[in-house]
Amino acid sequence: MLFCGAALAALVTITALRLDGGGAETVPAAGPAAVDSTVCIAPTEYMRSHHMKMLDKWRDEAVREGERTHVTPDGRRFEKSLKTCLGCHSNNRMFCYMCHLYANVKPTCWNCHLSPIEIPPQ
Amino acid sequence: MKKILMPLLMVAALALVPYVGVEYAGLGYLFGVLIPYAAAFLLVAGFLYRMVDWLRRPVPFNIATTCGQEKSLDWIGQQKLECPPTRRHAALRVLSEVIFFRSLFRNNKAELRKGPDLAYGSHKWLWLGGLVFHWSLLVIVLRHSRFFFMTPGPFFQFLEDADSFFDVTVPALYMTDVLALAAVTFLVLRRILDAKMRVLSLQTDYFPLFLIAGIVLAGIGMRYVAKVDVMPVKVLMLGLMDFSFNPPGEIGALFYVHLFLVCVLAVYFPFSKLMHMGAIFLSPTRAMPNNSREKRHVNPWNAPVRFRTYAEYEDEYREKMKKAKLPVEKE
Repeated sequence: MLFCGAALAALVTITALRLDGGGAETVPAAGPAAVDSTVCIAPTEYMRSHHMKMLDKWRDEAVREGERTHVTPDGRRFEKSLKTCLGCHSNNRMFCYMCHLYANVKPTCWNCHLSPIEIPPQ
Repeated sequence: MKKILMPLLMVAALALVPYVGVEYAGLGYLFGVLIPYAAAFLLVAGFLYRMVDWLRRPVPFNIATTCGQEKSLDWIGQQKLECPPTRRHAALRVLSEVIFFRSLFRNNKAELRKGPDLAYGSHKWLWLGGLVFHWSLLVIVLRHSRFFFMTPGPFFQFLEDADSFFDVTVPALYMTDVLALAAVTFLVLRRILDAKMRVLSLQTDYFPLFLIAGIVLAGIGMRYVAKVDVMPVKVLMLGLMDFSFNPPGEIGALFYVHLFLVCVLAVYFPFSKLMHMGAIFLSPTRAMPNNSREKRHVNPWNAPVRFRTYAEYEDEYREKMKKAKLPVEKE
């Protein structure tokens, strides 16, 4: 009981002292969609195992902190957006679908976003 | 101290073997294909050997343990689960043990207080820790079917969805990962922190706990931290399910650590206390019905003895007995 009470008190305190509670700050304008490369933002091997981490990081930084430009170690710039990825990768409608089906992984991306497989072929 | 550190060092060394072997010696085929097959064979063959061995052992006495009222006079209540009268009730009692760890729920603890005053109280922590540990491991093993089957089916999908219900972190955090790690930590600390348990515990108690902790940590590391490309893993696992001998693709060394520790567990299983998985179904004190008053239990060890009854004796010597004026039962 005592522990639950203490935990509740701590939770309330943390919530009350949160810095981003105001909502009065100005949202910075979206940066330019600076796709200046035909090469992926990171090596294929890295993207195969880490793409979900990268997308998660981009989502947090772009949506919550407003930093919309990704700079690769070799200086190329990309807009942190799913559109940047799909700019190249949607040329194969099965691109996301095939591997996720094979590995039996259901990403939550398509709960909101439109999956390439849902766009009718031209 | 040695009996805690030795198993820990052993697990660490075992974890290092595949890491060095794959990373520096390129032994992916050995650790990805050959050793898993050998380990799976030893697990199945060893498990069957132990079970058949136990099944063939005769049970000389009816030694069912009971903790409830046996069938008695009509006005005395009978507790059929605590004192199983039939095989069906005995099976139900074993199942309740397997699924709910019923006898651990009765765990007591004796404590010497000031006075001196010996006090007994209910102590359910082992029951809770053990239950969480075993059920988490079961769910984790079933969840892994997504690597072993092309489409695992709706039940396994449900299990996975339920397990990642909270949907925090990417990839979604599995509850059972946290629970298994917490439970194994508790089970280790339970043996270390209590002086009585420290004396009772052996290397063979710590080793499987550390081994399972190592497997869980390698798996968690692979999923959440040092990511491993899952596609060649699934190719390898589907291949193993088809008994193929294709070499594995490019997979991170952490995967081989995880797989090798699982292989070690599989090989260790039939030769260790982990056989309680099969033995709980065979233990006579639990699995036998307590019906010794209705049914005579014959010791299968008894050699067939040829008895000669008095009637047979008299049949043979009746005439001689009559001549000697001895009384006979039948004229």
